[in-house]
Amino acid sequence: MKEQLLQRLHSVRTMSIVGMCKNAGKTTMLNWLLEQGRLQGTLGLTSIGRDGESTDVVTGTEKPGIFVREGTLIATAQDMLRLGDITREILMTTGIPTPLGEVVIVRARSAGYVQLAGPSITTQLKTVSHAFFDLGADISIIDGALGRKSLGARAVAEGVILCTGASYDMNMDKVVADTAHIYHLMNLPKAETLPPEAAEGLEKCWREHGAALVTGALTDSMVLPLLRSGVLRNGRLVVKDPSKVLLKPDTLDKLATRSVTLETEEAARTLCVTVNPVSAYGWRFDKDAFMAAMTAAVDAPVINVKEELQ
Amino acid sequence: MITVSFDEKVKIGLQYALETLHGCSPFGLERIRRLRFYTPDERAALETELYNVEALTRHADELKDTYTRLMTVLCQIKDIRNSLRRCQNGEVPDHVELFEIKGYLQRLDSLLPLLDTINETAHLKDVSLHSPAAALAILDPNGTGSRGFYIPDSATARLKEIRAAKKDIEERLFHARTDAEKDDLRLQRTRICAEEESEEMKVRRAMGAQLAPMVDDLLADAETIGRLDFMVQKALFAVRYGGVLPQITDGALVLEDMVNPELVDLLGEQGRAFVPVSIALDQGATVITGANMGGKSVAMKTVALNALLFQAGFLVCARSAKMPLFHSVKMLFDDLQSIQSGLSGFGSEIVQFQKALSEVEQGYSLFLLDEFARGTNPDEGAVIVQAVTKYLNGVNAISLLTTHYDQVAPCAREHYQIIGLRDVDPEQIRRELAVTHEDGVAVIARHMNYGLYRVVGKSDCPRDALNICRMLSLKPEILRLIEENY
Repeated sequence: MKEQLLQRLHSVRTMSIVGMCKNAGKTTMLNWLLEQGRLQGTLGLTSIGRDGESTDVVTGTEKPGIFVREGTLIATAQDMLRLGDITREILMTTGIPTPLGEVVIVRARSAGYVQLAGPSITTQLKTVSHAFFDLGADISIIDGALGRKSLGARAVAEGVILCTGASYDMNMDKVVADTAHIYHLMNLPKAETLPPEAAEGLEKCWREHGAALVTGALTDSMVLPLLRSGVLRNGRLVVKDPSKVLLKPDTLDKLATRSVTLETEEAARTLCVTVNPVSAYGWRFDKDAFMAAMTAAVDAPVINVKEELQ
Repeated sequence: MITVSFDEKVKIGLQYALETLHGCSPFGLERIRRLRFYTPDERAALETELYNVEALTRHADELKDTYTRLMTVLCQIKDIRNSLRRCQNGEVPDHVELFEIKGYLQRLDSLLPLLDTINETAHLKDVSLHSPAAALAILDPNGTGSRGFYIPDSATARLKEIRAAKKDIEERLFHARTDAEKDDLRLQRTRICAEEESEEMKVRRAMGAQLAPMVDDLLADAETIGRLDFMVQKALFAVRYGGVLPQITDGALVLEDMVNPELVDLLGEQGRAFVPVSIALDQGATVITGANMGGKSVAMKTVALNALLFQAGFLVCARSAKMPLFHSVKMLFDDLQSIQSGLSGFGSEIVQFQKALSEVEQGYSLFLLDEFARGTNPDEGAVIVQAVTKYLNGVNAISLLTTHYDQVAPCAREHYQIIGLRDVDPEQIRRELAVTHEDGVAVIARHMNYGLYRVVGKSDCPRDALNICRMLSLKPEILRLIEENY
């Protein structure tokens, strides 16, 4: 399993780790990736905004720190440097400002803990990734944000690791269903060709071409009337990126029944889904049932961070 | 001291000129942003600056590649003066600061050969940089030449031990089996990390202390870099718009074929050319008269622009120039009057005039008055401007006035007139207008000669207004009435 997973991870140069909620096991997954002998080559590591505190700022629960191996490149805000304990070599100042100081790229000359506070804007994350590669990194890892916001993050990474867990909701079915929804959005097929842009309304474009490119958000109120009137069938709907799809799971199903395929201009893929059956708030799911349900809902490898990564 | 407001800079085209410069280093950009003018007491420094800019301009062609390389390095320079001052004050620089200082020194090092190349050809005066080798040796003790900053294990014997111990613990943690064993090792690790931090702190403190005596030289180099950056930009500006090294005089100002870069570019875009203007001025009042749309203000603004460029150490945009150094340059433009004072347009104009005059009377100045007192009735206005002109003849300044009013010119020392439509046949323009659909004003503007000529003997304001009325085919009934009363 781990071998397969690593092979999958090695198929991309940039990956981001995205959580459905706090305490989904993002950092556990990250630490597993960062460990000596896991991913091959030099790693570059940054985060979207601030992350890596040892107690969760939101829930107050104990969190694992981020531990990097020697040679890792880290992009973090200047003020965060003194909160880590690696031996550091400053490689570059990026000019990207954050409330915690300029983002600086350092090389870990010893293993140790780091605190991440990277850029919060997509284009800046791309800049940092490029800088990593210029400085000799082989893989760039972005510790991503939570939930739907991070759907945009795939513009900066080829592959996504989606972390989910019992902390998301007390109802296991809901956790599985919502995770699967996000998973499907993230894995919409990449459009081979771009249909004409629906500049003068979706309906007009669809009637003329039987396909449409929606540059803004794609919402229920745009799609449902067309579904009801029967216009929308047998064709392609293309969106810029998955974060633009604001459709309910139910609407997605309806589109599928009418043979309307939803595609994206920019495509990344989900490398794996991790589950954490233990919630930070006290409850826990049956780990086997959770694994089984999640595995059935997505077609990517599913791993339990509490067991398989220990 | 010369002070020029932002509005005035925009008005005379100085802001435009500054915006065409591409300062590269933060120090150069600072000099451009906070433009300062040499005072008459700093004549020697100004002469050096002009000499250098002229030399850089003259050799711009052969040094083109060097300038490009120089600018590339300048663009990478960061402003680390605060970190240097912190070293000088005995504070401990942090890792990132030392990294930035090291980067600065490396850039400085790569500037040296470029500056040598420039000096071999252009022989600049008083432009030299200190060698950063000694300072670099402190921050890169092993001479690796790497861009990054890292305190090497070899910095102190103790640091070497600590880092070896840290590595050892790491190794043992990796192989540890029991939780108790791991906890113990983690405790040890925390301790050793703290030791490493404090040992590195000592090294950083020592580096700061070693740098401290060199800080003055390094700060001076930052100044030099800023000057060099600005001088190269001034040279490229002179290449673009034509610049001449003026002869410095004790009073007279002579500009032959001067141009205004903003208008050169603006007219260039419209496929037209700026007509260069020549003027000779001396202490006392000079009056420019001419038709509406005739470019009186343009001539005046171009004088102001070139005087200010010169005093900021630029070559002058003219074919030849003789310039004095002014204590102050004051200008009153009709549309720059502050209306916030609550006074009428005319009232505030008088207040502004008083203020400017008291500054002008402090030392040899350039005083420009554009259509002074035009906000009042023509009879009174003429009398006021005549009086002001007479008074200004006695003030220790070059005063330049444009006016519409009659009988002002005889009060002045010199009188210039816009050539305007003097040599144009109104009938011809009227015929031209009849067959084109072009804007009449644009056609007249095309025939307008913006050049100046010196009026010798008595002359009054030109009567171009009537000509313009004719050309634009004003209602014949009205024209007849005008002609009857002319």
